[in-house]
Amino acid sequence: MATMAPAVEYKGKVIDFPFENPEEEKIPDDELHEHLAKPSTERTKRLKARCRWKHASAGEFVEHGVRAGIERMRLVTEAHKASRGKPEVTRRALILERCLNKGTICLQTDEKIIGYHAEDPNYFPLYPELSYMNVKDYLMSDYSPQPEAEAEAINDYWKPYSLQAKCEQYFDPIDLTRMYQVSTMEAPTFAHGYNSIIPPYETVLEDGLLKRIKMAEEHIKEAKAELAKEPWDGSKQLSWIPKIDNWQAMVIADKAVIAWARRYARLCKIVAENFESDPDRKKELMEMAEISNRVPAEPCKGLKDAFQAKWYTFLVCHGIERYASGFAHKEDKVLYPYYKASVIDKTFQPMTHADVVEYVEMERLKISEHGAGKSRGYREIFPGSNDLFILTLGGTNRDGSDGCNDMTDAILEGARNIRTTEPSIVFRYSKKNRPQTLRKVFNCVRDGLGYPSIKNDDVGIEQMKYYSKFSMNNNGATDEEAHDWCNVLCMSPGLCGRRKSQKTRSEGGSAIFPAKILEITLNNGYDWAYSDMQLGPETGNAEDFKTYDDLLEAFRKQYSYVMSLVVRAKDVGRHIETQYLQIPFVSSIDDGCMELGEEATHLSEQPNGWHNPITTIVAANSLVAMKKLIYDEKKYTMKQLMDALKANWEGHEEMRKDFKNAPKWGNDDDYADTIIQSFYEDILGGEMAKVTNYSGGPVLPVGQAVALYMEVGSRTGPTPDGRYGGEAADDGGISPYFGTDTKGPTAVLKSVSKVQKNQKANLLNQRLAVPMMRSVHGFDIWHAYMDTWHDLNVDHVQFNCVSTDEMRAAQREPEKHRDLIVRIAGFSARFVDIPTYGQNTIIARNEQNFGPQDFEFMNLELGQ
Amino acid sequence: MATCGECTFFFRVPENADDFEPDKGDCVTEKRDEKGTYWLSRPVFVSTDSCTQFQKK
Repeated sequence: MATMAPAVEYKGKVIDFPFENPEEEKIPDDELHEHLAKPSTERTKRLKARCRWKHASAGEFVEHGVRAGIERMRLVTEAHKASRGKPEVTRRALILERCLNKGTICLQTDEKIIGYHAEDPNYFPLYPELSYMNVKDYLMSDYSPQPEAEAEAINDYWKPYSLQAKCEQYFDPIDLTRMYQVSTMEAPTFAHGYNSIIPPYETVLEDGLLKRIKMAEEHIKEAKAELAKEPWDGSKQLSWIPKIDNWQAMVIADKAVIAWARRYARLCKIVAENFESDPDRKKELMEMAEISNRVPAEPCKGLKDAFQAKWYTFLVCHGIERYASGFAHKEDKVLYPYYKASVIDKTFQPMTHADVVEYVEMERLKISEHGAGKSRGYREIFPGSNDLFILTLGGTNRDGSDGCNDMTDAILEGARNIRTTEPSIVFRYSKKNRPQTLRKVFNCVRDGLGYPSIKNDDVGIEQMKYYSKFSMNNNGATDEEAHDWCNVLCMSPGLCGRRKSQKTRSEGGSAIFPAKILEITLNNGYDWAYSDMQLGPETGNAEDFKTYDDLLEAFRKQYSYVMSLVVRAKDVGRHIETQYLQIPFVSSIDDGCMELGEEATHLSEQPNGWHNPITTIVAANSLVAMKKLIYDEKKYTMKQLMDALKANWEGHEEMRKDFKNAPKWGNDDDYADTIIQSFYEDILGGEMAKVTNYSGGPVLPVGQAVALYMEVGSRTGPTPDGRYGGEAADDGGISPYFGTDTKGPTAVLKSVSKVQKNQKANLLNQRLAVPMMRSVHGFDIWHAYMDTWHDLNVDHVQFNCVSTDEMRAAQREPEKHRDLIVRIAGFSARFVDIPTYGQNTIIARNEQNFGPQDFEFMNLELGQ
Repeated sequence: MATCGECTFFFRVPENADDFEPDKGDCVTEKRDEKGTYWLSRPVFVSTDSCTQFQKK
């Protein structure tokens, strides 16, 4: 029998919590999630059963047979050698052309959305032009591309040309060594190649690539006429040359993409006519052939067109032209015009809403088997998942009206039915959102998917307007365009649409680790617990800090050193990208690049700089404990604390209890919250905002842990918050530390809402008790909580809704819990694929039960 | 040695195709593994040396 939430006395009434679906009473607590998946058709049931998952656990791929392919490496190298002497942007277009013309393409049984980016659906491509260390790492693993000797030779060829080699020369070897420790800071992008992008899907779907080619050709014609004007003025007219090169590269890229899609069309037709015996499938294949002949060359006319054109665009932008993580787009807005044509107006590719839901399920499974050639480090920090595939829904339209539509609902329904960890969903919460869609958001949350992750729509809009002020060409987001935002990856909003979107991770992303920075601050910049080297400037030892302010100033110096170094690394990478890693296909589909003859990595119309502080709460709770016990109450000396930390608290158990019991974040405690608010706003945000990046805007903090809280926690020594060395750090960006938020869910919100200044985003993980959420009052409680959260101007929240019983059962018998999904931080993961160390951090999160004081604060009316 | 042009899996690229080249074809092969069936297509030419999957037309 399932556990029912206990009755609560509220406003003089006894409130019971019977299950909304009485049938659930019969499902034991420890197997609930195995009853929730409901693929909507036999096809999606089959597709899920045979999905070629690319999940990793502790850096290892979970499924047998997954490995790196050699084909892309080979084709890229051939094209690079064959294009010597041509402008670099042309070379990049020719590299893409060769990959698309000569690469193997693939079609699988049952699928209706087609396309893959490697020579076999079990493989993923590698990118030797980015990081030679990353490729070398694969060569030393079981996932090495074959033949290995050829792959080794290719990597050697690329070493001097790679982004990594070109960037490293601009850094002091000491700084490089410090960056590569991944102890106080994440390694620079040029060392691992991790990347992100928001592709302007809209231009592909609305215009078609033939129109984009025509636009580029007209620009070339006009530019050549300008170049030939008399009298010659070299100070102006020479500027047309790089523009002509860019437009010509766009034409090469777009023609190659059209031809590649038509190769898929031909493959569908050949399979239909020569291999397939089922007449229904033959018919489907012929329709798929017809679609790929037309799109992305021509504008989309119906929803099948749109799903397919979007998928081809995704593959090129995220896997073929260059690697980029993510699935960033406002999917309901992008697809709704085609939903309307096919489902409502039935003018082209007529479909029912149920047919659309099946397409959503199919797209989710395509994403689930999309392989990313990420470095081992990046595989380790996304345990239980594939890559950070995250789409955005909801919010408001440009005119301020509700952004939810029937496509939003179909996406949420499909996600709930098929139950996959990817793609994750971000929902932009606005008071204007229609109830029917909010109910579907809640259904996903309650089913324990961990998504939608909820972002405050108003906060995101204001942020787009703020960054727009720093636009270097005075063409940032208008007030209307500020409504067009989606999350770039887990947490940070960025503009989406036909232009002005973020094209490379050198704009925003990567992490800095405050807990480790505090640790070295106490040790004169030395990392005794992990790397055993000097990681920052010499700012004195802990015993030298006579006041709390001395300590804080030393931290500020250490933090500022790291911040400037990490953003310099990103900007040097950006500079090299503009010279050698151009992305002409992306340029061709961005209206700004097309109009200005600019290259996508080079053009920045809307700044969007950010960096991710991870382990902030361990540092912040430590500061609170030190201020209280050492500087205010003087119960202990700093020397006593340092002796205890160096001993990992061994022999200092009573002292540890005092530090562990010091006030903690997330309890609406004024003492702790005042210190921590100042830490966020004045130091983490204030110091970061002093840094200006490539795009001319400030860099702001986006606190979000992914699973680095596990990895970096394991590298961080004992801390003054009472934590033992090696224990996991805090799991969000602003989430309370595991189990230390003891005053209920609204106390957490009150604490979090105090941090407002100098922030871009902060991740809040909350774990909700399953019985209450699955009760008849579940939706009303959640909805009231969300409105309260919104009114407190909190940026983000996401939920785990899974019982400890079920997670413990999955630890005992993992094979029986394949559908158990949990939220890590910014992504969801299959629980049984997470290492035990990580699983235990999910179990340790405080399970929040709402009580009368919460209902009161949320102004909730509960009927019987 | 046998060539791709003689193989049953060779499908000539039509003249109106974007990637048309004389004597170019698609080598389309069916694969099957524990996850299911899939088809791969890669460009070859009539005179390309045949591979281990060669099947005479």
